[in-house]
Parts: sequence; structure tokens; C-alpha cells
Amino acid sequence: MSETSKKSPMDMVFASVTGIASFSVIIFIIGILYVLINESSLAIRQFGVIQFLTSADWDPVKNSFGALTNIYGTFLTTILSMVFAIPVAIGIAIFVTEISPNALKGPIGIAIELLAAIPSIIYGMWGLFTLSPIMSNYVEPFLKKITVGLPFVNIIFQGTPMGIDILTASVILSIMIIPFTASIARDSFNLTPSVVKESAYAIGATKWEVVKNVVLPYSKLGVFGGIVLSLGRALGETMAVAFVLGNNHRITTSLLDAAATITVTLANEFAEADTDIYLSSLFYLALVLFVMSFITLAIAKFFLLKAERKYSR
Amino acid sequence: MMTHERKRRIEGIIALTFSTLAAFLGLFWLVFILGDVLIHGVKALNLNLFLNDPAPAGVDGGGLRNAFVGQLMITICATLIGVPVGVLGGTFLAEYARGRTIARIISILADIMVSVPSIVIGTFIYAVMVKPIGHFSGWAGAIALAIIMVPVVLRTTEDMLSLVPWTIREAAFALGAPYHKVITQVVYRAAATGILTGILLSIARVAGETAPLLFTSFNNAYYSLNMNQPISSLTVTIFQYAMGPYDSWHSQAWAAAFVITIFILLLTITGRLIIKWRYR
Amino acid sequence: MKTIFKAALVLTLAFACTAAYAADTLNGAGASFPYPVYSAWSFEYNKVTGVQFNYQSVGSGGGQRQITERTVDFGASDDPLMPDKLQKDKLLQFPAVIGGVVPVANLEAVKPGELKLDSDTLCKMFLGDIKRWDDEKIKKMNPGLKLPAADVTVVYRSDGSGTTAIFTNYLAQVCPAWKEKVGAGKAVKFPVGIGGKGNEGVANYVKRTRNSIGYVEFAYAKQNKLNYTQLKNKAGNFVEPGFESFEDAAETGDFDAKKDFFLWLTNAPGNKSWPVAGATFILLAKEKVDSNKKVVKFFDWSFKNGDNKAKELVYVPLPKGLKEKVRGYWKANGLQ
Repeated sequence: MSETSKKSPMDMVFASVTGIASFSVIIFIIGILYVLINESSLAIRQFGVIQFLTSADWDPVKNSFGALTNIYGTFLTTILSMVFAIPVAIGIAIFVTEISPNALKGPIGIAIELLAAIPSIIYGMWGLFTLSPIMSNYVEPFLKKITVGLPFVNIIFQGTPMGIDILTASVILSIMIIPFTASIARDSFNLTPSVVKESAYAIGATKWEVVKNVVLPYSKLGVFGGIVLSLGRALGETMAVAFVLGNNHRITTSLLDAAATITVTLANEFAEADTDIYLSSLFYLALVLFVMSFITLAIAKFFLLKAERKYSR
Repeated sequence: MMTHERKRRIEGIIALTFSTLAAFLGLFWLVFILGDVLIHGVKALNLNLFLNDPAPAGVDGGGLRNAFVGQLMITICATLIGVPVGVLGGTFLAEYARGRTIARIISILADIMVSVPSIVIGTFIYAVMVKPIGHFSGWAGAIALAIIMVPVVLRTTEDMLSLVPWTIREAAFALGAPYHKVITQVVYRAAATGILTGILLSIARVAGETAPLLFTSFNNAYYSLNMNQPISSLTVTIFQYAMGPYDSWHSQAWAAAFVITIFILLLTITGRLIIKWRYR
Repeated sequence: MKTIFKAALVLTLAFACTAAYAADTLNGAGASFPYPVYSAWSFEYNKVTGVQFNYQSVGSGGGQRQITERTVDFGASDDPLMPDKLQKDKLLQFPAVIGGVVPVANLEAVKPGELKLDSDTLCKMFLGDIKRWDDEKIKKMNPGLKLPAADVTVVYRSDGSGTTAIFTNYLAQVCPAWKEKVGAGKAVKFPVGIGGKGNEGVANYVKRTRNSIGYVEFAYAKQNKLNYTQLKNKAGNFVEPGFESFEDAAETGDFDAKKDFFLWLTNAPGNKSWPVAGATFILLAKEKVDSNKKVVKFFDWSFKNGDNKAKELVYVPLPKGLKEKVRGYWKANGLQ
């Protein structure tokens, strides 16, 4: 607040209106948390916390609900998609900041932004109509063929290649988060002071050595924050996976099996739940997801802020 | 014998090749997805799509007028609610609370809110609006989208206002203007393009949202302008049609996907161009 | 100039948000089982009366939930509610149309209606005990058919579904192992397979997945040219799904207005009866008299004018006597 500001009544009004508007963010977060806890209180009382989180039983007939299958599906698709996306995203960031000729930087940068702007439902629909047949006809039979007889590895490719499974969903999810991760990584790379890079070049380092020994170590906090942020995004993604995950409340070891994530279960069953305890359990799931992604995003923000502070020094 | 020098060079070439490949893989997906949407979408586009309402299930023909109009209504209303709240909130952080801890906390929370799963916001609005009021409504959908919009607009506004040099404000204070006049007439004007960009990008962000609409605005098979009733949206219709078995539904889903993708990409590109042109 | 433009823009937008459309709208949600016929009826009804009968196919669980919460004007469900449950939630219930659930398979060398299954085989396939299409049991029943040497992929409903309720009600009756391991209901825990949302989703997944088997309302099988199967009924005959076998099953049922028409038609004893038939029901909130009257008007119109459309989609219109019983029920509850 400026000392020079005049204390006119109009000013007070404007200040309070803007103040209320900005506090709406806090109100939303507390409101969501309160409402979700309130709505899920029935399920919390019935199943408790530990039992709900560790029970793999999702059985509307017996009115017995546990979140484990949903949490398992959420983690599995998220982690797999991160494994696919991180190397590509960092590769893109290196290419854009260090390798590409200046003429290409703009177009590729825009392409990444556009890829990030495509709504997730388009990814999901494209996944069902285009990617899923490719996966079931070519990619998955191929993976089965090359892993046949390999101990452990063949387990994760067991079953019929249907194209509607964990693997396909994770691939779509990874395509979706690549641009997001890449643009944060690029921004972090760009923060490396050119003086440091130039001195490395001056002592005869190759381009890759500059990236490996100067840029990456310098920006690792920011890149890590970006990765955690993408992870938080992937946890809560609904539409990109809803089309091809197959809604299966079982814990399976094969990536060619269907699964369920918290988000997909909510999208499919929320408007359908016929008993109070069923609906309450779904609110409970939403609460678990909200808390999980809030913590993840807070961690990401922590690292990004730390990185920011480091660079601005 | 491989010299150290050579090993270094080869390692470099391999690493750089991989990252170049990665970049082209990213481009490949973009071309693949956009191309697919384009090809299928253009094939299914026709005037009837915009003029007619849906035919009964499994019957060919009909259009998605209800969904186009509904999507527009929901998005416009969400913008009318979300933008003022976001801009005003951002103003508080950048002006009245500048540099204070509270500004910092709200700013961080807003950054987190931006990425909170949108389906959770749908369940929240179902609990606080749909159930108490007694029916699904366009308003519930609009408010769900507005909640997603607020933090996006708030953060860009805060950043843009912070970029306006303090001296400009001092010049206005010197003329005896009260703070709110300084903000609305001087600071906003200086930051207008930046704020506008933020608004455009936030519209692009919510226009493609599906999950928060599933249990709020629901869906409507008919053309309706009544925001107090369930209203159709393109995204929920795409979900229903693409998951459905009918070929005519599939092609209409592609057409809808095409329209919404083009709309969002145009908004995004406009936003980026403004940034480039203004903040070079 | 700029301010005028801005003001005009704001006004237009504000108008866009508040404009109310005068059309008469009825909002309903529920079963996807009757969605093709309701959507056809409402399309015609809208042309004749201008009333928008907005029926959203979300699933029978959704129909029951949303009418209990009163978020819609009417709910629809193929899973009939017991009279005491209706009493408790202050709901009314009447049947609207009868149809059949049919198993559908995606098999390249097999034509619709060719594949024969008995209840035990069907049950074992959905339990995951029969894993291959060239299983001896299936082969023996279908000597002339070329069955692929491939795994069976089961497709089920992932949402709260009356179609599932009818299907599992049948399996639980004829197959003790099913009753014990899975049970009957709108959303059961299927031991194997992938789940699609709605009859639409199951039909879509079966269409897209080779060597899969699922179950849908017959209209979906017919509209999408899916390979439906024959089933062995209670009388021991293999029957094809179709109007006659559904009608035969319907005739065995005695709907009673005093019990709010609660009745299952599964495993019907008739010689030609399709074993997995069922009625689909409309649920109304007792206190919403105004909108209930409009809903009843719609169904009265459909009972009079919709039989041909229903038959076209292979639903069985309610028999004349039953229609009168339903009208009596409306009158008794002051809705007509």
C-alpha cells in the first residue's frame, strides 16, 4: 500500500472489493475441502481412513468401498506417462534452447504451446479412434512377441491386446503432458546465465558438455519443479484417459489390462451412484484426489520458488 | 585407438541427435493429432451441423446447434463471472497488498488452484449448487468454469500490473488522483494488453473443459437458452457421442472436436501474438 | 466510440446470459436401455406439441439417484424398485416399454443370430472360467461355426445400469456360481473384462474389440449390426432375440399396480420366451404434481402413437391391458 494514496471513501470500497475478490481463491480451496469432507463424512465414518485407502474392494452391490484400485490406477498411469514423457520433454527443451537454429526456435516453441492448448477431450477421443487400434493391432502384439519368455517382463504384457488398457491410456497421458513439461524445462534452461555457458565454451567444452555440466545442474531445481507440476496435472486428468482405460476395479499386473483411476471412476459413476454410501464414497475419492494433487502441486511450487530465488540472486 | 577427444565428440553427437529426435517426436504428435482432427472434422462439417438439433439416437442426420449455442452461453457466462473476480483479485495482490505476505500466500495458492483436478470442482459445484437448488443448470456449469478461470486471470493480472513501473503511479498521485482512480485509469490502461492476453488464454483453458460440466450443466438434447435448465455443451456431447456406438455420432463428434480445437488454437495464437508484439 | 462498443458488448453478453427460452421443458435422466425409443418418441412429440422432453441416457442408477435427489423431473430405470423403497423416497413407478438384453459378440466369421449359447456357458464366459472361443463347450453347441482360436474379451457396463441389473438377475437365477461370486445388481464387480459407459459404451467397445462379448439392449445390437446370439431358455429351446420372443416373455408377466408394477421378466417359462427380457420403468417424485402431469401426458401420447416406432426398434409396447392398468395407476395418483 502506498503512503501517497488518498483516503477517500471510494478508495476504501475499491480496496475492499479487490480484497474480497482475491480472497475468493482461499475461500474456494477451504470451501472445496470443507464440502468434500462434509459430503464424504458418511463414508469416512463407515470405512475410516486407513481401511478406505488400503481396501481394493469396490463393490456397489455389497455397499463396500475401498479406494485402492482407483489409487493404484491413478499412480500407475501417472508414473508410466511420466516415464514416457520426461526424456522426450527434456530432449525438446535441449533442442529448443541449445541446438535448433534460431529460425526453428519460434515455430517449435509455438508447436509446443499449441500441443499444450489442445483440450484433453480431444486427446481422449483421438486416443480411442486412432491410437487404440494402432496399439491393439501393432504395438501391443509386438511388445508381447519380443517379451515372450522373458521372466517378469512377460507378466506386464500378459493378456489380450485390446487397445483399451493401461498402456494406451498412459501413452495418451504422456503425449498430453510432454508440452507442459517441455515448456517449463525450456524456461528453466533459458535462465542459465549466458556468461556461465560462454565461459564453458571458451575452455573448449562441446555443446553436450555444456548442457550436461552447466545447463542441467544449474536448472535442475526448476526442471524438477516442472516435473512434479506435470505429475500433479497428470494425477487429476480425466478426459484424456476416460476413453481408453476400460473402467476396471481390479488390481492387475499386466499393462494390457483395463484399470480405473480416481478421475475416471468419478466421471463414470458420480451421477449414477444410487445409494447414499456409494455417493459419499465417491466424494471421499474426490477428497483423496484433491488432497493428493494439492500436496503434489505444493511441492512443485516449493521447488519452483526455490529455483526462482536461486536465479534471481 | 579412440582418443578422449573423439569420445567426447561422439557422445555429444549421440546426445544431441536424441534431443533433436525428441523435438521432432513432439512435432510428430502435434501433426498427427491435429491432422487427424482436421481430416475427420472437415469431412463431417456441414451447415446442418450448426442449424439443426440432434436427431433421435441411431438416426442419421441432425446437428449440434444446441451444443454450439450451449457451449457459447456457458463459456460467455463463465467469462463474465470469472474475469471480473480474477482481475480485481489480481489488482489487490499487485496494488493494495503488494509485497505483503498475504499477497504471496494467495498468489501461491492461486498457482496451485490452476492445476487442481477440474473434476473435483465439478463434484464441489454438484454439492453446493445442483443438489440444494434441485436441478442441473447452465449456471452451475458456468460457475464451475469460472472457478477454474479465476486463478488464471488473477495471476496474469498480478504479473502484468507488477510490470507497470511504479513511477507512472507516482506521476498520477502527484496530480492528486486517489488510488482507485490511478489504478482504473492509469495502471489498467498501461497493462491492458497483458491482462487481455491473460483473459484470452483463460477462455482457451476453460472452453475445452469437460469434466466440470458432467455433473453441473449436464446435457440437453434440445436447443435451449435457459441457463436455469440443463444445457448442452460441445465437450460433454463429444464425450457422449465418441463413446457411443453410432457412426453418425462419431462423425459429428469429430466435427465438434474440429470446431472447438480451431477455436481454442486461434485464441491461444492470438494471445501469444499479442505477447510477442507487446512485450518483445 | 470505444465506450459505446464496450457497453453494447456488455449488454449483449448480459442478455445472452439471462435470456429465458419459453419452451416447455421436461428433464429426465436414467436408463440407456430405452434411450433409442424415448429419444425417437420425444423427437416426434416435440414436433407435435413443442414440448422438449429432454431425456439423458446416464444409466438406471443415475435415474434412481437423480429422481431421489429431485434434480430431474423424472427418472428412468430398468431395475424396478420395491414398493417399500418407493414409499420411503416418495416415488411413483410405472412401466413404459418392454425390451430384451442380448449378448453380442464381435466374431469375424459369425453372422448375427448364429452363435448359440446356453446359460451355463454364458455364465462361465462372464465369470472368466471359459477363456477361449474354441472352448469345447462352445464348439459342441455350435458345430457348424468357425470359432477363432482366440481369447474371449468380456465387455461390461461400468456405470449403474439397469441392463446389468436385468442381465445379472438372469445369471444369478440360472447359475449358482454367479450368484455366489458376483451377485445381481446395477453395478456388480465383474471378475474379468473392460467396462463401457452406458449401452452406448458397451456397443462401442464390442464393435471396436475383436473377439469380445458384451450385453446390450437389442435396439443397440440391431442399430449397430452387432452379432447377437441365441440363448437356451427355461423351456430348453434355443431362441433368437426379436419381437416375438420378447413378447412371449412379456406375456408371462403379471404386472400389478398395487406393487407399483415391480416385476422381473427374466428366465420366463414360455416355450418361445427370450430369457433376458425386462420392462423399463419411469420414476416420478410424488410431490412434483405439475411436471408429473406433463410427463404422464407424454407417455399417454406415446402409448397411443408410439407403438409402431417402438416395434421398429424392436421394443415390445406394453400390452393393451397393461396400458390400462398404468392409466388407472395415474388416475389413482391424481395425475390424469
